[in-house]
Amino acid sequence: MLGRTLRVGAHLSHSYRSTAFRKLSRSSTIFNTILQQPVSRDARHSSTSAYQGIGGSPGNPNGGGGGVDPVEVSHFNALASSWWDAQGPSRLLHLMNPMRIDFAKHCLSMGGPLEAATDAGEGEGSPRGLTVLDVGCGGGIFSESVARLPNTSKVIGLDPSEQVLGVARAHAKKDPALAGKLQYVNSSIDDYTPDHQFDLITLFEVVEHVPYPAAFLQTCMRHVRPGGWIVLSTIARTWSSWMTTKLIAEDLLHIVPRGTHDWHKYINEPEMRSFFENQPGWGSQGMLSMGCLYVPGLGWKAIKGSEDYGNYFFGVRRDL
Amino acid sequence: MRRSLLHLPIKRSAWAVRTSNAARITATRSFASEASPNPEIYDIVVVGGGPVGLTLAASLGAARATSHLKVALIEGMNLASIRDWKPTPDYFANRIVSLIPSTVKLLKETGVWKHIKQERVQSYDGMQVWDGMTDARVEFDWNKLLGGREEGMDTTIAHMVENIHLSHGLLKRLDELAVKPTMIDKTKVEKIEYGQLTEEVDMRDWPIVSLSNGQKLGARLLIGADGGNSPVRTFAGIESRGWDYERHSMVATFKIEDDSAFPKFAYQRFLPSGPVAILPLPGNFANLAWSTTPEKVAHLKSLAPEDFVAMVNAAFRLSYTDIDYLHNLKSGVVEETKWRESVTKYPDPPTIPVRITEVLEGTRASFPLKMKHADRYIGERIALVGDAAHTIHPMAGQGLNAGVGDVYSLVKSIADGISHGQDIGSSFTLEPYQSERYLPNNALLGFVDKLHTLYGFESGPLVPLRSIGVEIINRDWFGLKKFLMSQAAKS
Repeated sequence: MLGRTLRVGAHLSHSYRSTAFRKLSRSSTIFNTILQQPVSRDARHSSTSAYQGIGGSPGNPNGGGGGVDPVEVSHFNALASSWWDAQGPSRLLHLMNPMRIDFAKHCLSMGGPLEAATDAGEGEGSPRGLTVLDVGCGGGIFSESVARLPNTSKVIGLDPSEQVLGVARAHAKKDPALAGKLQYVNSSIDDYTPDHQFDLITLFEVVEHVPYPAAFLQTCMRHVRPGGWIVLSTIARTWSSWMTTKLIAEDLLHIVPRGTHDWHKYINEPEMRSFFENQPGWGSQGMLSMGCLYVPGLGWKAIKGSEDYGNYFFGVRRDL
Repeated sequence: MRRSLLHLPIKRSAWAVRTSNAARITATRSFASEASPNPEIYDIVVVGGGPVGLTLAASLGAARATSHLKVALIEGMNLASIRDWKPTPDYFANRIVSLIPSTVKLLKETGVWKHIKQERVQSYDGMQVWDGMTDARVEFDWNKLLGGREEGMDTTIAHMVENIHLSHGLLKRLDELAVKPTMIDKTKVEKIEYGQLTEEVDMRDWPIVSLSNGQKLGARLLIGADGGNSPVRTFAGIESRGWDYERHSMVATFKIEDDSAFPKFAYQRFLPSGPVAILPLPGNFANLAWSTTPEKVAHLKSLAPEDFVAMVNAAFRLSYTDIDYLHNLKSGVVEETKWRESVTKYPDPPTIPVRITEVLEGTRASFPLKMKHADRYIGERIALVGDAAHTIHPMAGQGLNAGVGDVYSLVKSIADGISHGQDIGSSFTLEPYQSERYLPNNALLGFVDKLHTLYGFESGPLVPLRSIGVEIINRDWFGLKKFLMSQAAKS
């Protein structure tokens, strides 16, 4: 819980096209393998036909979908009932949530359709209010909290698992203040056809669970209004992230349910950055990342430079 | 948290948030004889309108992040008498609180302190504490320690304020808030239970408070500022552990001899039956806090006023054996102490307090002493503050200060939860409050409790040892005294 006392602004490495921080030349080659191609979990879980059927063609920048991995869906179905248990397997996600809010607020405060209104979530707000699409919302940890902010007018939580959404809907009923502001939709992003674009699309701990991340991100990008943001968090694919997220968190300490992560699907920060740098109309007015680390006993901490080693947040703005 | 709450044998409430047909039937069944109005939904319901509950309401209203919250405060007593309090210069109430500088700082920040009449506040920057058996003494006196007052340095140890005065100031502050809390006084909490599941909402983890006036309040967050026997704590199934000291604290307000030649000090003498303290008030007034056995308290209360005055003067001058003997006298204490004091050597003021001359009528009162600490301060949609969370021996005057510390920590956690879009009743919002306050309070409770035990011995190896310890502190070896004094001011 102490993690939340850290304010996001302190440890951001902002985007510069000069590659002072990006000495990792491996990024471009891995970028291709990771973002464009399907990554199977392991031999046991691999079921190419299943997710290709849902996901559409990989690697097609305009037409395709990111897909949904049925193994992932069944994994999260199994976690559904304990999603809101404060001492349960999703505790780390709950503890991380204030940092997600801080990071999203920070991105929006750098510029956006509602920049003045959304800053710190205070003030009168714009006449319209912030619209948010939370893709892969799960039990609704982030969806609920962003919906409670005074300047948010509408939040759509999207998830391919009906079972998980059942938990999200049941939990949202516990707070009368959410009624009318928060809506859950059972759909993949590929099949979702909203009638408007959003100010903010969030993808928290999602891209590492998607078979075709590049196609998935491009589908999401279509739903962002000019000047709006995509904000995501994920995990870098490094020896240290394998140690912390697989070996320590899942296998040794059991603070994250086993099988939650497939290390091969992780995307490094330079890969993510390079991907968005190559998307026309994106990132020239704002692209930033922030590394963070869970320290047992202290909580989540924003640590400069740690985006190269483990969990990181990434925000990118669609050009106005 | 939630899991443990579910294990409790909790009755589900029988009202409906919005009366659907099904809910109406249930309600009629359970409350055949009475109307069952829907609860009014509040963000925060505070049970208890003592100084801690009022401080909580005032600081929620004063802090920008929380001032929009819909808050209700429930108090059994009549708050009008406190609001209309008219002090007179020749009378001070017997219930006095000692506010340490950090508490006053917080009261200033919330705009409460400006409503406190400074002419009725007595601050002091020195303490005289000594052992009733060995006379080993600690002088806490910033002026002596520093070789005189430094410019701009606040050397105040504490400010003595009447309870009613503080509550009066808090109510005045509440009256000037833009969004005022709903104050429900002269009203008792009759029942707390959990809400119901309906078509629209699921209130099964929302506490619903039923009041003696028939009102029902639904609480996103229910805060118990309801004292040592906290009904809120009982509802939440939180165990509070501790013990009775089998001691009562006797309080009274006195007139004293002219002490204008001396600095204002607090005096405390540790007798084996418990500490006896004289605390300064403005002008020639002082307040007594004497912790001793219930029998001895009964004796003190039964004495004629002049015998009682003689008894208290003797408590700071005569040996423990003498004092013990005097407790057997039903009358004639004045004469008895006169000759005993004539044959006893004791120091002069300001090492001991000046003589008291008169006890103000109707100010002799007493209450039992307890040490209690709740297992947790929070549950799902529940928080405990002040005595509801911890009851401390009053010898160090820290009870209310700890309660005010709780309040500010809790308000900070709530504000942080709001800015991060959390439900303010969720344990994730409340956890920082518990982790910030539990250990410091536990340490304070433990320290004061150990002092009580240590000074309970009339003889034996600990008696000389405690005196050596006190000597080491008093000579400021290892900078211990400075450390203790600055800790006392900060805590």
